Amino acid sequence: MNKFQKLIITLTTIIFSASALASEVNVYTSRHYDSDDALYAEFTKKTGIKVNIISGNGSALIERLRVEGKNSPADIYFTVDAGNLWKVQKEGYFKAINSESIKSVVPENLRGPNDEWVAIAKRARVIYYNPKSVTKNEINNLSYEDLAEPEWKGRIAIRSSSNMYNQSLVASLISNHGIEKTENWAKKFVTNFARNPQGSDRAQIVAVANGEADIAIANSYYIGIMLSGKSGNDQLEAAKKVKMHFPNQDNRGTHINISGAGILKNSPNSENAIKFLEFLLSEDVQQYMVNISFEYPILDNVDPHASIASFGVGFKEDRTSVADYGKYNPDAIRLMDRTGWK
Amino acid sequence: MTILEIKNLHHTYDNENYALEDINLSINDGEIVSILGPSGCGKTTLLRVIAGLERQSKGTIKINEQIISNEKFMIPPEKRSIGLVVQDKALFPHLNVINNVIFGIQKNKEKYNLAKNYLDIFKVEELADKYPHEISGGEQQRVALARAMAPHPNILLLDEPFSALDQSLKSELHHETKKIFKEKGLTVVIVSHDKDEAKFLSDRLIYIEDGKISPQK
Amino acid sequence: MVLASLLGDYSDNWAHLYDYVLVDYISNTLYLIIGVSLLSLLIGTVTAWIVTTYDFFGKRFLEWALILPLATPPYILAYTFTGFFDAFGTANNFIRDIFSLDQSFIFFPNIRNIYGAVIVFSFTLYPYIYLVSRSAFLNQSRSMLEAGRMLGLSQFEIFYKLSLPIIRPAVIGGLMLVIMETISDFGAVDHFAIQTFTTGVFRTWHGMYDLKTAMQLASILLIFVATFVWIEKISRKKALYTSGTSTFKPTKKIKLLKYKAFISFFICFIPILIGFILPITELIIWAISYNLSFFNEKFLLAAMNTILLSITAAVLCASIALIINFSIRFKKYRFSNFLSSFLSLGYAVPGLILAVGIVQLFALIDQNILFNSDIILTGSIVGLIFAYIIKSYALANSTFESGFQRISTNLDDSARTLKSSGWNLLSRVHLPLLKTSFLTSILMVTSEVVKELPATLILRPFNFDTLAVATYIYAAEERMFQAAAPAIAIMLVGLIPIILLTKMISSSRPMDK
Repeated sequence: MNKFQKLIITLTTIIFSASALASEVNVYTSRHYDSDDALYAEFTKKTGIKVNIISGNGSALIERLRVEGKNSPADIYFTVDAGNLWKVQKEGYFKAINSESIKSVVPENLRGPNDEWVAIAKRARVIYYNPKSVTKNEINNLSYEDLAEPEWKGRIAIRSSSNMYNQSLVASLISNHGIEKTENWAKKFVTNFARNPQGSDRAQIVAVANGEADIAIANSYYIGIMLSGKSGNDQLEAAKKVKMHFPNQDNRGTHINISGAGILKNSPNSENAIKFLEFLLSEDVQQYMVNISFEYPILDNVDPHASIASFGVGFKEDRTSVADYGKYNPDAIRLMDRTGWK
Repeated sequence: MTILEIKNLHHTYDNENYALEDINLSINDGEIVSILGPSGCGKTTLLRVIAGLERQSKGTIKINEQIISNEKFMIPPEKRSIGLVVQDKALFPHLNVINNVIFGIQKNKEKYNLAKNYLDIFKVEELADKYPHEISGGEQQRVALARAMAPHPNILLLDEPFSALDQSLKSELHHETKKIFKEKGLTVVIVSHDKDEAKFLSDRLIYIEDGKISPQK
Repeated sequence: MVLASLLGDYSDNWAHLYDYVLVDYISNTLYLIIGVSLLSLLIGTVTAWIVTTYDFFGKRFLEWALILPLATPPYILAYTFTGFFDAFGTANNFIRDIFSLDQSFIFFPNIRNIYGAVIVFSFTLYPYIYLVSRSAFLNQSRSMLEAGRMLGLSQFEIFYKLSLPIIRPAVIGGLMLVIMETISDFGAVDHFAIQTFTTGVFRTWHGMYDLKTAMQLASILLIFVATFVWIEKISRKKALYTSGTSTFKPTKKIKLLKYKAFISFFICFIPILIGFILPITELIIWAISYNLSFFNEKFLLAAMNTILLSITAAVLCASIALIINFSIRFKKYRFSNFLSSFLSLGYAVPGLILAVGIVQLFALIDQNILFNSDIILTGSIVGLIFAYIIKSYALANSTFESGFQRISTNLDDSARTLKSSGWNLLSRVHLPLLKTSFLTSILMVTSEVVKELPATLILRPFNFDTLAVATYIYAAEERMFQAAAPAIAIMLVGLIPIILLTKMISSSRPMDK
């Protein structure tokens, strides 16, 4: 058995390039962009620290963290959904990020409880509308809650309830109004759909442009991508036809979700991990990231990409703790199932 | 001298009805025996049990005074040195004729010549490089016989070997094979439903009916 | 590991699922299975019958081109389908442009529904049925077909009264693969927003953070599949389908001319058009317009990884399937029979769930058996290959099962009386006769692994990319235009084994030199 063990171990270590280098940082991420490589190369150039990446589905990576336990090589967990951050924290895999410079630039509601994770970029879930079929009066001061009103019957496009952005939105409503009230809202909201929920966020924007629906709920950065022309002429044309509205400006503000990251409790390179997060939250990098992703920056002195900024900056953001999205996410799904939101 | 001895042999497929019931049989060295009976009487099962392809429920089989199988113990077919030719010949389709014949011959430098010799005996030496599907049914049967005899088995078992052939081909092969078996002094057990064929080929006839040896005719 | 979840506790979420969504999951999944089964059977058997029975212009091309859609992962066809047929997609815009119609005119019906999904799965998965039917048709005896004609049956009657029933066991094997792949798929049904059992599994896990209930849902799916397999096996036992003869006469082809030839060509061409030409054309258009820079050294590395991994996994998988099937035939071990059925189920498990099950299994092995403080199996190539083998065992197994069925047991008997058994029998008789099966299963597994994504995502080592990973990274954020380039690469790399496969089957018609 002993020989057999040794053989297996030698064999696997030959095949499996074990991570024993001193200067590196291991990142489990469910956020992927074209420019990631350039960003990591820049970090390595600046600090001499090599960035190792496993990108994958957020929930699956959490499961990998769980079974790897204290042997996990991961230093950083990076994801595009606050719910997953909440989940990792609840499992107790994160530790506090001890960095004064991070604390000084990131507002408290964009940091996790006990500073165990931090937002890297943010996005708003906004209303897109077709100015041809929606009047100024209708759109003025429109809130998420208003969308349950009968005047919107057959006019709303939104994707399926399997989508985490919708789940987070409903979770934030639960956090503010409680389950019962939110459920009553959702029951009416669902009857206002223009079509069965289908397709991506961008498909909803296209539906509004084509007149299949009058308004759509989708994330803010998609319009930026569509306007950039990177996703084709059809989408560019469609994007030009719609306008963006920030809901709930006269009360708690527009629903915000984040891309965020935290440092793992068993992180073998936590010094490097802190350096990496500080790097992501530095001015140049923030500017670089939002110019590619069309998200909103975390730092006040960085502007979003011009095409996104043109729809308005400095809108009022919902200060509901993003950690609540995770907490109420299971409730949100059950609620959507009950109300027949497919 | 007795070469094959079967005692109190029973065989059942479903633990209720016997396919073979209390078979007792002994066959002498160099003897050609035909087993006759209607289809479904159990004669093929008997052959398969002797070959070791089927294991009997009860009873003992001895070859050359040595037990090759009983209730507790059984020598697998590949170690019994028994040759078998079945009705559909079962030539290996991926091997040519000569390699089919060589297949069963154990390590032997003279393999090739030995096989050639047997093809010669059965008058199919010119087919050596052909593949089974390229030759006729009668030729296939000759090759199958050559293949079964080439490893020098103690006993040769033939299961309805000529039934798929037409009459003239049949009688031609009857004459030839009987001559060859006798020349080589082979012990042969033939399963047949053709009484004339059995009478012509063999020294002795055994009748089986409903899984039992019957003393008839 | 997944099944073990059934023994655990049941959370409150079950009551919720039962009350509100389970009926939807079950009915949608059933509709999908029934629709895909019927359509893929129709496409697979009819095209196979045409190319094996008739001879006409373009037949040689169709014979291998019909396998091409195997290179298209269902989710990629789903993406390109919507790009093409959506209300304002390429096809509808085109029709509007030609007839200068109003914006509100929509020619092609909405395909983001269960019918669309049935079409997507059928046109990407029918090659599994085509492959087995084709070889079964080629192997059926000419005399039987001639007997049919003498009895006054028309060509069409021969097809459905004689040929079809006789190839049934082979076809059912192929159909099982189609069904298993359909129910385990997540990408395509999610894109069409159809709530199936598998999307339910992910919803429960990702959204309700309830992995246990998700695993239990997956287990129910597995039990369903297992029951199905079992019923099929029992019903098959009653009839003996192996033809007794070990020799073979090739069936003579009937020559078709003019319009008949044209119709045959057309019928066989449709599946290729929808399952392969359409998606790859759309992808090429996207790639050329938006992302050619993908083809750099990183791409080469990912392609190398993909090829090496898939071939290693395929050879191992085929060898294991061969040995298990041999031991079932030769030794009649009940255990091997069970093991084979059990491993086959891996194909029906949604990839990500399977991956998680394997991660848990590895963690157990790492901690309890290897007693080593470093993680060994998790995040290693060995682990990845292991996962691929479990995922694609069913593919290799089905090829060998039908391969072994075609070898008359008389050959085994003869070989044994000729002093050959065990390894000797395997290597001298079965392996040469199963050469085609062996290569077929290697190639089928290769093309499956090339497409495989979820297990790769979670089990891979750091900085290790395959082509499917590269596609996912874009597609996950709905950037299909950027995903087009790596998606084309997947299809192209997937083509290599398929072209080899077709070369092989056309050169090695059973027993004819």
